[in-house]
Amino acid sequence: MALEDFRADAMRCTRCTYCRWIPFDLVKSERFAKGCPSIEAGQFHAYTAGGRLVTALSLMDGRSTVTEKVKDSVFKCTLCGQCDVSCKMCRYDMEPLAAMRELRFHLVEKGHTLPQLEPVLESLRTEFNMLQKPADERGDWAKKLKVKDLTKEKAEVVFHAGCRYSFDGDLSHVARLSVRILQEAGVDVGILGEAEHCCGGRAYGMGYKIDLMHSADHNLRTWKAAGVKTVVTPCAECFHTFKRLYAAEAGSAVEVVHMVQFVDRLVKEGKLRFTKAVPMTVTYHDPCHLGRQGEDHVPWDGVEKKIFGQAVAYDPPRPRYSGAFGVYEPPRDVLKAIPGIRLVEMERNREAAWCCGAGGGSREAYPDFSRATANERMEEAAGTGAEAIVSACPWCERNFSDAVEGGAEPMKVLDVISLVGRALGIEQEA
Amino acid sequence: MKEISRDAYRAIEDIVGPEHVTDDPALLDSYAFQWLAELVRPNLSHYMPRPWAVVMPKSTEEVAAVTKVCNKYGVKVKPISTGWYHWAAPLKDDEPTVQFDMRRMNRILEIDEKNMVAVVETGVICAQLQAEVMKRGLNINIIGAGCSTSIVASASAYFGGGPSSYFLGSNSDNLLGQEWVTPAGDVIRTGSLSSGCGWFCGEGPGPSPRAITRGSLGTRGGLGVFTKCAVKLGPWEGPPVLEPKGKPPAYRLPIPESFRVYTVGTPSFEALANIYYEIYDNAIGYIFHRQFNLAGADLAAALWLTYLDPKGTMNDVETRSKDPEVGKISDEARVSFQIILQGRSTADIELQDRILDEIIRRTGCFKVERFCEQDFAEFTNMYLQRMGHKHCNFIWVGGYMGSWMQPGTPDFVKGYVKTAIDGFERDQKSGLLVECGGDAMMGCGSTLGGGGFFALEQFVSYDPNDDDSVRACIKHMEDAIEDCKKNGIPLGKEYLYLQIGWTDERIWNDLAKMPQQFVLNFQRKIKEALDPNGLGDRNYPWIPEGWGKEKPIVTAEAGKPGKSAAAR
Repeated sequence: MALEDFRADAMRCTRCTYCRWIPFDLVKSERFAKGCPSIEAGQFHAYTAGGRLVTALSLMDGRSTVTEKVKDSVFKCTLCGQCDVSCKMCRYDMEPLAAMRELRFHLVEKGHTLPQLEPVLESLRTEFNMLQKPADERGDWAKKLKVKDLTKEKAEVVFHAGCRYSFDGDLSHVARLSVRILQEAGVDVGILGEAEHCCGGRAYGMGYKIDLMHSADHNLRTWKAAGVKTVVTPCAECFHTFKRLYAAEAGSAVEVVHMVQFVDRLVKEGKLRFTKAVPMTVTYHDPCHLGRQGEDHVPWDGVEKKIFGQAVAYDPPRPRYSGAFGVYEPPRDVLKAIPGIRLVEMERNREAAWCCGAGGGSREAYPDFSRATANERMEEAAGTGAEAIVSACPWCERNFSDAVEGGAEPMKVLDVISLVGRALGIEQEA
Repeated sequence: MKEISRDAYRAIEDIVGPEHVTDDPALLDSYAFQWLAELVRPNLSHYMPRPWAVVMPKSTEEVAAVTKVCNKYGVKVKPISTGWYHWAAPLKDDEPTVQFDMRRMNRILEIDEKNMVAVVETGVICAQLQAEVMKRGLNINIIGAGCSTSIVASASAYFGGGPSSYFLGSNSDNLLGQEWVTPAGDVIRTGSLSSGCGWFCGEGPGPSPRAITRGSLGTRGGLGVFTKCAVKLGPWEGPPVLEPKGKPPAYRLPIPESFRVYTVGTPSFEALANIYYEIYDNAIGYIFHRQFNLAGADLAAALWLTYLDPKGTMNDVETRSKDPEVGKISDEARVSFQIILQGRSTADIELQDRILDEIIRRTGCFKVERFCEQDFAEFTNMYLQRMGHKHCNFIWVGGYMGSWMQPGTPDFVKGYVKTAIDGFERDQKSGLLVECGGDAMMGCGSTLGGGGFFALEQFVSYDPNDDDSVRACIKHMEDAIEDCKKNGIPLGKEYLYLQIGWTDERIWNDLAKMPQQFVLNFQRKIKEALDPNGLGDRNYPWIPEGWGKEKPIVTAEAGKPGKSAAAR
């Protein structure tokens, strides 16, 4: 794809501004009607999906050039995809999220990059992680585990911890718990340790498509060599990258399962029984990459066609990623299955969830914006009366924890798998 | 374009802060790019004139201060709230204009439950206010343009009718006072507010400034900036919070026991007019609208049944449109409308239900069975209560232009329906417009509380990414104007839209032929008094003194009130 491929989207945008809001049917209050973190920070219309379509058009037509303000408007966005859901409430011929990504690719290709991102990209290219840590420490989280090393052995299932769970000491217990649960369930699972590379999804969001391709090439080759048919990950970002981006950009056919889906399946099959009560009221935060962006990839190589004279359809029919079929219920069902847990919902949930603020390079490039976005979510979470905000993505959890440390609502920030560990009585082991 | 001193920009920065003003070309283009622009701009451009700067004020004081700077440096002012319509942008290339983006003024200032009044700033949208007032057993009228729109815009500055206007009144009627920064930078408060007595009454004391700012269409941003207004609220007997179910895009809103949701079919437009009168006379109904025909009578059933399926695609619409069973539904729903009854008690709703059944029987109408089934009725309930799917106007291909929509009694409207349908069918034959049948006419059951002011808007869909399709739409607009003239029908919305691309002189020539010239002359005097430096634009219509009495002569400064040669 190229930016020019999104010209029709731009020309057909009606500047309706639906992309600023959650789907209107779901609005329950004045306070939590907004859906776009970017325009809350940047204020001007250019900080919306519709505005970026116009920016793309304006640049393509030579009406304007890339200034610092343009770069700010293009990159100060978490790429959470709320705009994409709201746009598609009434449209079948628009792909605003894909267009915004393409605009980033275009700017990066032309050399309009953000210096703030250089250290993390350098880390990705030399240490194969986004946290600027030495590559040889990547497998340290699993040192005490007895688990297959897939650089030496073979297994059908690879557990991919991801950069954040591998290196973030506050969160790595989730990876250990996950492996333990998989093993208890009798899964033939292994890990890659140091040979596991970043999925590349965050670099892709930052506008560096080539880095995703390098990551995909390495990871897919390594999995193939290890006889892997399924990848299980507790990270929503990795999940989305493997499921959607590797499939779309690298033709991957590897099955991708998020850890909460796996646990949900075990619970529903009666293979996992929670024995400990966890008396706690929690609210669940849908990670963008597991929720609205977590729909299955459907291969498509088609063209636009006109029906009824001028209406737009596609030959063959184009898959519709509207957020309708994201992974919403498995984490909720797991939480509801834990004795003692009371699940309460935030106003903006499922496809309408407000972003944590960590995505699209925002955490790295615009820490103030990222924190403000997290604070907004924490305020919403606190309004439910829950003791803890629970999620299924380490990036969300890190951003929320940092927000709490920075003075946001004093809530516990937990991973679904942590609570599963407590309910199984194995949390301490991890 | 004339050069504006950078001192003006710096002065504005000093008022609102540098982060709330921009003159970056790309950022300005996101304001210049507007719906319908390609129908009126040279070379079918999607851009209206680019603003000189965009300013985001946080308070009325900031609006007034920036406006005074604009007066000092000769920069025009144009406000937008949610920012949608070609006429919301600057209208001329050679006139430096500050575009006020009002989204930072976004507070609900007061909800007076007892007196059923809400006071809001310009950036508050209908969905936000409705969600809050419903918690208090109240509701607002959401205009036909949908819940993404600003309350202040529809109440103070534009037409304010919607599906619930039949019961709740239109927002222009419900206006209970407003705060207004004139183009001279003065702050005017209207109605009882002007006496410091609160927002309860929009008129007086003394001559009503409301009459200056409103009328049927309002000033559409052409005469200063409205920063706050109060609107009258109405009763709501439904749940305090709407809890839709299902997946996008067609969320479904469960129907409370005291509500009924129907699509009623009629055998003809004659019968449609008759049943409308009967409904008015019997004072039943809460929401009353002809909604789903916006997709075109030939395709409406295929489209909406597909829309109900979260996996549905436009290809499915094509398949369904060939299904004979769907064809039967299309025929049944061809001349139909939606009505939602709201009861205050079980007895009340049952009585309304019986009355509607009797009206349907007497007028030879019927309920459209498939559209009254639970899934579709719940979708209808969601659609019309919140009006959050308004942009399905654009569902076919992103381009929609509403033509016709001359308001009047049902008998008046039925009189132009055939001309509108025949004309649209004729123009669809080019293959350059969406071929959806001649009747893509949508409209409120009444935009006057209690009934009696009805209109139908023809939904013309074209591809904004295809110049030939854009040209076909323009031709259709011109054809519709000719059809009106030939048949003695007042001109409709297409005329209003096309005017945006015309010169002042062409507009004045047309205005000079209108009856009641004193109105346009009176408005010139208002403009002279409130906009001495010509900072507003022609969205507030007026006519130069003596224009049209002799050969029209261009005034020295077009856009500024002045005299024609005849008067001089």
